Amino acid sequence: MNGTGYLHLLKLAAPEALVVLAALGALFVDVGVMREQGRRTRRLLGAAIATLGAFAAGLGLLNLHAYGTAMGGMFATDPLTQWTKVVVLALTGLTAILSVETDFTEHVGEYFALLLLATTGLMFMVSATDVLMVFLSLELTSLSLYSLAALNKASPRSAEAALKYFFFGALAAAFALYGFSLLYGIAGTTNLAGIAASVRGRGFDPLLAAAMLMVIVGFGFKVAAVPFHLWAPDAYQGAPTPAAALIASGSKVASFFLLGKVLTLALPENAGRAALGHFGAGWMPVLAVLALASMLLGNLAALAQHSLKRLLAYSAIAHAGTMLLGVLALAGAANRAEAYAALLFYAATYGLTTVGAFGVAAVAERLGEGDGIAGLTEVHPEDFVAPEPASSGAPACSRLEIQHVAPSPAQAQSRLQAGAPVSASGCTGLAGLARRSPWLAACLLVMMLSLAGLPPFAGFPAKFYVFAAALKVDATNLDLLWLAVVGLALSPVALYYYLKVLKQAYMVAPNGTEMRWKLRWPEALAIGLAAAGVLILGIAPGLLLDSLSEAIRAAGL
Amino acid sequence: MNWIVHQLWLIPALPFLAAGVLALTPRRQRAFAARLAISALAVSLALSCAAFVATLGHAGTGTFRERVNFTWFQFGDQALRLGWVLDPLAAVMLVMVSFVGLLIFIYSVGYMAHDANFTRFFCFLALFAGAMLGLVIANSLLLLFVCWELVGLASYLLIGFWFHKPEAAAAAKKAFITTRIGDVALFLGMLWLYSAGGTLLFYDAGEGCLENAALARIAGPSLVGWGTLVGISLLIFGGAIGKSGQLPLHVWLPDAMEGPTPVSALIHAATMVAAGVFLVARVFPLMKPDWPSLAGGIPLAGTPPPDATLAITWVGAITAVFAALIAVAQTDIKRILAYSTVSQLGYMFLGLGVGGVAVGMFHLLTHACFKALLFLGAGSVIHGCHDEQDIRRMGGLRRPMPVTFATYAVGMMALSGVPLLFSGFWSKDEILHAAHGWAGSRIPFYLGLFGALLTAFYMTRQMVYVFFGQRRAASTPPAAASGIRHPASGEPHESPLVMTVPLAILAVSAIVLGFLGTPAWPWLQTYLGADHGGSGGVELAKLLTKETLWLMAISTAVVTAGIGLAWRWYGQRPITDAGTPDPLQMSFPAAFRWLRQKFFVDEFYAATVIRAHAAWARFSDLLDAWLWGGLVLAVHFLTQGLSWASRFFDEYVVNLGFDAACRRLRRDGAFAAGLSDGKLQNYLRGIGTAFACLLVLLLWGGCR
Repeated sequence: MNGTGYLHLLKLAAPEALVVLAALGALFVDVGVMREQGRRTRRLLGAAIATLGAFAAGLGLLNLHAYGTAMGGMFATDPLTQWTKVVVLALTGLTAILSVETDFTEHVGEYFALLLLATTGLMFMVSATDVLMVFLSLELTSLSLYSLAALNKASPRSAEAALKYFFFGALAAAFALYGFSLLYGIAGTTNLAGIAASVRGRGFDPLLAAAMLMVIVGFGFKVAAVPFHLWAPDAYQGAPTPAAALIASGSKVASFFLLGKVLTLALPENAGRAALGHFGAGWMPVLAVLALASMLLGNLAALAQHSLKRLLAYSAIAHAGTMLLGVLALAGAANRAEAYAALLFYAATYGLTTVGAFGVAAVAERLGEGDGIAGLTEVHPEDFVAPEPASSGAPACSRLEIQHVAPSPAQAQSRLQAGAPVSASGCTGLAGLARRSPWLAACLLVMMLSLAGLPPFAGFPAKFYVFAAALKVDATNLDLLWLAVVGLALSPVALYYYLKVLKQAYMVAPNGTEMRWKLRWPEALAIGLAAAGVLILGIAPGLLLDSLSEAIRAAGL
Repeated sequence: MNWIVHQLWLIPALPFLAAGVLALTPRRQRAFAARLAISALAVSLALSCAAFVATLGHAGTGTFRERVNFTWFQFGDQALRLGWVLDPLAAVMLVMVSFVGLLIFIYSVGYMAHDANFTRFFCFLALFAGAMLGLVIANSLLLLFVCWELVGLASYLLIGFWFHKPEAAAAAKKAFITTRIGDVALFLGMLWLYSAGGTLLFYDAGEGCLENAALARIAGPSLVGWGTLVGISLLIFGGAIGKSGQLPLHVWLPDAMEGPTPVSALIHAATMVAAGVFLVARVFPLMKPDWPSLAGGIPLAGTPPPDATLAITWVGAITAVFAALIAVAQTDIKRILAYSTVSQLGYMFLGLGVGGVAVGMFHLLTHACFKALLFLGAGSVIHGCHDEQDIRRMGGLRRPMPVTFATYAVGMMALSGVPLLFSGFWSKDEILHAAHGWAGSRIPFYLGLFGALLTAFYMTRQMVYVFFGQRRAASTPPAAASGIRHPASGEPHESPLVMTVPLAILAVSAIVLGFLGTPAWPWLQTYLGADHGGSGGVELAKLLTKETLWLMAISTAVVTAGIGLAWRWYGQRPITDAGTPDPLQMSFPAAFRWLRQKFFVDEFYAATVIRAHAAWARFSDLLDAWLWGGLVLAVHFLTQGLSWASRFFDEYVVNLGFDAACRRLRRDGAFAAGLSDGKLQNYLRGIGTAFACLLVLLLWGGCR
């Protein structure tokens, strides 16, 4: 690759370069200059640098209009990738602002640097058009996120979460890499479009099936789709809250975009058919099974949760199922633009909502008694999963067991008998939120109802567009109708557990005497922005959707 | 347009308003009630006179007719329009109704003085007057029908005023139901007219249903059009039959005499029952269309086709004789007058049929006056005899009640048609004259003559029974008297001034009114628009034409014969005892029994219509009890069973199912949450298993 090539690459990847520069800046400023300052000041500065970097990169994306391919087709930009990167950067910015008030580590500079590096990885994921590039960017993101999850060194739970996340991610990456190499073996090229060209007319032989399935396993881990979701609850709960927010929001947006792109670019002819009773081998039935399992298991398991973050994890799994439905909608060539719009609108609004919800959880952790949502009235001993007796578990593994948030029946019984307020491990951290902070409770209300898909919040149009796009894949046979029906049928279940959260916030009396929570401005800003965005996009989805449709049209999809 | 035309609505509105106020007035405000009702009607009378005067100026220069129409409501693109009209027909009716009505009101103050429900009585009277006046000015068959039904309601309320008397309650029901039969016909006629003509307005700038454009639209140049027109006419005439007590719906009118004597009886004699005659007069262009002038010409070649007047004539003529025959044998003073009314209404219809509006209306006006006079006189007699109504227990009242006697005699002579001086002579003569010249048949003329004979006979009989001879009250034990009627006790006495003054006024009218329509000066006929070919002034020569003189001679002879016969039977040998059989009864026992029993019409109806109805009712009851009741019961049990089933389903399937589903969901949730048990080795094993399963699925699903 000659000098012009690098210059060209720099021109196309200038926003990514800006983010990397910001990451280095944050690291150097913190380590070099701010060592002796208070941790909050350092976080404030780090967040300022990170937000500024993300903001500058976003401005560049919106104004430079540098479209093209670089590095021999490994890296490509078009209006749609730039739009997606703007969304990722916005979510990163919100996460950075949210991080100001979460005091979990003394390695402030490293934290913001990792945050920005993960974002860089996400941006490269969006632009990747080559399996090598895909793998590299995936790894950059994953490694950064593993480290972020582990950054709360004071908490063994954080370390355990990170380790599980890492092991799980490593295995998934192995699958993905093996799948990529098989693809290369089949096609003789790593370029996505090239793979498509060489497998054209080849049919769907077992080798291709294995390769495709392995790639899907890798992505299934990233998007936390059942049955590759098992890391998510533990990681969401154990990781520092802002890190979890990024895992749940920006990472999701980029991963779904990349999954859609890989499948439609590399294997456009191997979609198969996923109609109920009409099985056509390809990636559609696989994704359909994953979507069905995710929606079912995510929604059901969320019912049994007693921690807001853990509930958000299962909710994320359920939403991943819905977004997989959006990916399935990409299979129909006729309405691919519409399906892209639906999928990305869903991912963007879901990311925004999740960041806000994690913000509320962060506030509850900082000021209250955790993010618990199970009140005294809700505690049924049979709801709790009986922990493995210590003797029956393998001694070698016991260290890796994360203690469940739900207290053991014995604990619950003793608390019930004592009549003492449930505290610490957080059964009732959100109880009485409306009286402690009506404003925060209102924001939580917006987030929860949006996640439940109720109008007039952004979750409603998002869900509507995805289901509509899924039904249009095969307008005559309505192949995906059964999945949409399952999704709709599970909506009441979802509403139930979201309302359970709101019941804690609004109907249950707060514990303790300290009534008012005083919010600090950065967290108030982040949560307020998210809530306002969710509300506005719910009332006028066109504000975001129009630019998205414009970008899709300009990208020529 | 005259101001009175625009304010015409006030004439019915004032009595209506009075009725509304009186309905809310406490019972003890008796003086207020009387004053309010009388003053309201007095203002109406004044306005009616003003309206009458307004129509006078145009007499002779074509018919005066002005109307005010307005839209009541809009449905779709059609508007339902109502309105009122002022023309000579309405004007004379207005004056007559409000004048006679006012006298009734005044008279009632005396007659009802001791009644506890004095206020209610005046409320009903005012309601009646308002409805009747509204009926008169209506320019829409619908508005007329509304007022017509209101008149029926007021009549029902007044007949049943003493509803604690079973006879009164039964009579009220009978009157209401019998007239309803006619009203159904009228209603059907109205609907047919609306569907055929598209309007119910009488006069609407050439588009009304009585004007040629609409008539031509209805009739059309075909047999169907002729049938439509005659059908509508006959249906409307059916309403008139019910209201005016013509055969075969006359049975309610004599029974209606159960109302407070004689006030409501008077309503049923002088004004309300005339509504039927008025209705026919109002829609006369429909009854007797001017065929040649209708667009499309004559539907049937040659002579003009028969129309509804044929039926009107025959019904009127037969009723006139039929009711007069019954009147001959009655003993109740009011019943005699009631049958006389039926008979006279028959004359009016006969007049309408053979001679047109003017002839019928002339008799209506004169009859209203002298029949009112007779009823008020009868009331005075009953009042004076302490609520005695049986003429056999009266007698010799000439001396204690001189004013009543004198005025009653005037009324009797007017009704009988005593020549020259009395109005009844002129109006009846007019009818006979027209009947004589009727092209259809000569029989109605002879029937009319026979009726005149009977009229003179029964009125003389009544006079003799009531006023001549000697008093027979004490000789009969009051066994027949009902609980309400007090037995005659004490001496009869003259009535107070408030009752005798109206009598005197009516007596004068009963004489004077006849001169408005003599052949020498047919002012009324000209005014009502009939063409007599006269100049409008007094032409004695017309009186002296051969035909007129001949007719007058015949009718004089008939009247004389009637009076003479009655005098010979009843006057020469005064009846001394109430128990003595009627002289007529002794001469013709079988015929008299038929007459006394009113030709067994009520019994006939009881044996046919009512029995059939009762049988049908029993049948329906059986159907109800067994068929429909069984069906309902079956549906009931079915519904109950279904509701039990659905309750069972609800409680044990839906509710328990929902509960179970929810419980299951929670357990599944717990299970699903338990899948992530925190053990990494399990997690990693999960990935591998899932991959393997998916791969098997894919390969099994058909790789090629």
